[in-house]
Amino acid sequence: MSGGSIPSGSTPRRRALPADAFLQLGLAILAVAAWEIVARAFGTDFWTSSPSAVAAELGRWAASGQLAVDLQLTLTEAGVGFVIGSVAGGLIGFILGWMTRLGDLFEPFILSLYTLPKIALAPLFVLWFGIGATNKIMFAAMLVFFMVFFTTYQGTRQVDRDLVENARLLGAGKWDIWTKIAIPYSAVWIFTGIRIGLPYALIGAIVGEFVAAEAGVGFRIKEATSFFNTAAVFAGLIVLMCISLVLLGLLKLLESRALAWQSAGNRVSAGDPT
Amino acid sequence: MSVHRLQSSPMNAVSEEPVAIDFDGVVARFGALHAMGPTTLSVRQGEFLAVVGPSGCGKSTLLNMVAGTLRPAEGVVRYKGDAVTAINHDVGYITQKNFCLPWRTVEANVRLPLEFRRIPKAEAARRVRIAIDKVGLGGFEKAYPRQLSGGMLQRVMIARTLAYEPDIYLMDEPFGSLDAQLRTRMHGELLKLWQETGATFVFVTHDLQEAITLADRVVVMSGRPGRPKRVVDIELPRPRDVIDIQSNPAFGAYVKELWAALDVH
Ligand SMILES: Nc1ncnc2c1ncn2[C@@H]1O[C@H](COP(=O)(O)OP(=O)(O)OP(=O)(O)O)[C@@H](O)[C@H]1O
Ligand SMILES: [Mg+2]
Repeated sequence: MSGGSIPSGSTPRRRALPADAFLQLGLAILAVAAWEIVARAFGTDFWTSSPSAVAAELGRWAASGQLAVDLQLTLTEAGVGFVIGSVAGGLIGFILGWMTRLGDLFEPFILSLYTLPKIALAPLFVLWFGIGATNKIMFAAMLVFFMVFFTTYQGTRQVDRDLVENARLLGAGKWDIWTKIAIPYSAVWIFTGIRIGLPYALIGAIVGEFVAAEAGVGFRIKEATSFFNTAAVFAGLIVLMCISLVLLGLLKLLESRALAWQSAGNRVSAGDPT
Repeated sequence: MSVHRLQSSPMNAVSEEPVAIDFDGVVARFGALHAMGPTTLSVRQGEFLAVVGPSGCGKSTLLNMVAGTLRPAEGVVRYKGDAVTAINHDVGYITQKNFCLPWRTVEANVRLPLEFRRIPKAEAARRVRIAIDKVGLGGFEKAYPRQLSGGMLQRVMIARTLAYEPDIYLMDEPFGSLDAQLRTRMHGELLKLWQETGATFVFVTHDLQEAITLADRVVVMSGRPGRPKRVVDIELPRPRDVIDIQSNPAFGAYVKELWAALDVH
């Protein structure tokens, strides 16, 4: 057969048109404007604040240098917790997923932990780790751990055992099975788990700060609420939203590099038919 | 008609060869299900054996036992005289199911067994190139499995097996998803490979013409529990041209004979 070109995927990824981007920008401006107008026309500042007040509050927060301090603290808590939780969750999920005997043994415990609303453990973590950064790190790590662990474990267990058998037939030793079959296979699931788990790192840090803290973005939000400073609350929320968006962007970049094959259908154009 | 004709013609020189695979009263059971056997059958070294039979009669089961991924409930399967008790690394097994790794390109998939066997890089690259050309996938080296059609994936599996040059090829309906043209081309390639390597082939198919074109002998299995109910020697001259052979008057007679043998009365 003559060498042809690689068929591009049947469903090319829909890319946002420039026109769409303008539309989205327009919608955002409209929403902000509506927010401002409603706040002024109906005097709802107390409950909804207003974009101008929030912007002013953000400016004050940044100028005082406190924003940098809070941001650094919260990001450190979430970041360290995220790394610990992802590594531990990915590793243990991977091991229990592939070692079926061990996985079967732990399955009932895993399931009972799965159903537990893990946020309820926050007070316990104060008891264990105090009210410093360690507490938030461990709490964030715990939340991320479970997301990454369950996703990796369940995804890995779906593997077709015949795939491993077939690799053995092709001459794979134990080590080959781990490095060339098991790890690449589970990588997809670990990444999925990490993506699902990422927001939980921030949730963990914020909830930890709500429960007991002396600084941090979550602490500022709680503090502002107790002073009925709605603008500061919204300022805190906006900072959180920005953090999540940046993190998600970073993760997407990383994933598209590590798992190039998943989007191959859309990206690889014609091969060189030599 | 006699089940096994006397082997007198020169093209059956293979009958002098030692036995490569020996099924000795082999029975396969899955729980209470008596799936296959008892089967007694030997395959000579360098022989091209085709196996036909109704779906579910145990053809794949037969191959699994040679590969060592399944143990017989009764009887013994011997490979070069020794009972198969573990995975048999001498076989190249092209399974019915596709085992391409989705995260590897065509090239890397074909290279997989060579990596397992610690073949030096340059030599591996050479073999991969040749194997990919043989199955007509030139130009698709860098494609990922999800970009390929079913027939192309099947050919990746074939190329992967060719690359490590096994002593025995077990092929389970390898050309089922190919179009007629490509299938004919693959028949030619396969016969060339068989001639060049002197490897042993056990080839499962539902296509009688294909079996006759390729094989020295065709085993006809009965319905489940499958056992060989007929073995037909294909005494067509070699080397065979995969197109011309079809107009050989004996070809049609073999088709008739196999049809009759398959028929469940
Ligand atoms: N792992 C298994 N567990 C239980 N039953 C099985 C298993 N593998 C095969 N069987 C049964 O054994 C019988 C023979 O299966 P086998 O796959 O060998 O058939 P086959 O001749 O290859 O059929 P086909 O032509 O459809 O591929 C079938 O009835 C099947 O249901
Ligand atoms: Mg089968």
